[in-house]
Amino acid sequence: MIGVDRRRFRTAAADLRSALAYPLTGDVRLLGAGIATIATYVLLVLSTYPQFTRQLLERDLTDVTYGVSVLTREVYLTSGWLGLALVVLYALLTGVAVTNAVALLQRRRRSGATGVAGILPGVLAAGCASCGAGVLGALGFVGAMAALPYDGTLLRIGGIALLLWFLARAGDPRTCSIGVGGGADAGVRNE
Amino acid sequence: MDEEDTITNRRAILAGGATLGFGAGVAYLATRSPSSDSSYEPAAFHEGTGASGLGIELSGRPIVGDPDAPVDLYYWTDYLCPFCARFEANTLATIGRNYVDAGTVRIPFLLYPNIGDYSTSAAVWDRCVWEQVGEDDPAAYWNWHGSVFDAQRSSGENWADDERFGAITEGVEGVSRSAVQSCRASRRDAIRDRLDADVAAAQSAGIRGTPGFVVYNRETDQAGRLVGAHPYENFETAIDRVLAT
Repeated sequence: MIGVDRRRFRTAAADLRSALAYPLTGDVRLLGAGIATIATYVLLVLSTYPQFTRQLLERDLTDVTYGVSVLTREVYLTSGWLGLALVVLYALLTGVAVTNAVALLQRRRRSGATGVAGILPGVLAAGCASCGAGVLGALGFVGAMAALPYDGTLLRIGGIALLLWFLARAGDPRTCSIGVGGGADAGVRNE
Repeated sequence: MDEEDTITNRRAILAGGATLGFGAGVAYLATRSPSSDSSYEPAAFHEGTGASGLGIELSGRPIVGDPDAPVDLYYWTDYLCPFCARFEANTLATIGRNYVDAGTVRIPFLLYPNIGDYSTSAAVWDRCVWEQVGEDDPAAYWNWHGSVFDAQRSSGENWADDERFGAITEGVEGVSRSAVQSCRASRRDAIRDRLDADVAAAQSAGIRGTPGFVVYNRETDQAGRLVGAHPYENFETAIDRVLAT
């Protein structure tokens, strides 16, 4: 029993590794992951003080860089290095996850399988957990924010765990999971 | 496999470098010491009398700048508001040097306690300090005000309480802690009425958060509103706009 668990863990770790390395397999993929990472970071940081962001952007959209620099400092002042590191980690993982999800979608469309349903829940669940704190704030539930343990840090850790789980589950997007699309795509993994 | 589908060293190095650069950039933004300009002290202070042309009650409120300045920049603040601290550290001094000391703008300091449990108490401390020193030594009020925001910036959450404000007050030259304490005990209700008037004025100007600003040309009656810790250029634009009308 323990042996099986260990083997499953090792497989998951290998899948996670190949999922994380996937953006390295193409210039466009790497660029895409970079853009998605930056975009996620900007979104996450701006959503920490939605009211401030709204006021700033309503007046002048080019103030977005000012907003990001001010709010990065504010995130550091309110939640410290841990909070800021979580946001950065979150952005990086989302960059990879988005790139891999796009690859999965393209592959599934080509192989004709009904795959979207299998991918989106992971991305959505992780996305919700990450910006959940910001969304609550944007909706005016500042009280709910305050009630969250550790000012939403737990929520972010949960989001990161979900993202890692999604990446490990999907593995390298160029390989087929068992039972999807027949054998057409199997064995493309470069190892 | 062709290069397009393999992990090349070049891409690995690029990705590693970009990740490090990203992390370093965020760390830089996080630790960049704010360009705090605490050396600035306005050339003139006065106490407001009566309502302004915009209908905002200024009696007993501290005003920075020349009484005859053509533009009012009403500033609603809360000592517990992090963006007010940011405005004070980064922008207020530049507005002061360029517009207040030049006699173009005066800034009535109004209070909009809204952030935390201690916001209203902090506002009462503020008005009691002004009542004590406003007439003879208004610079002491300015120093007290700056010290409170410095304390906010260098503290974590839940920094504001009676003990902390007492210590800050004691540390500012020219302000007597005991005189301010007796004002807090005896004048609390009158001051709270005045605070309610400040908040009502902010709300009727459409301001729902701090820092909040209304720019008002006292001669032409033109007004504009700004909410949030805007960069200095936005204040410049807003002031120049009401001046041009």
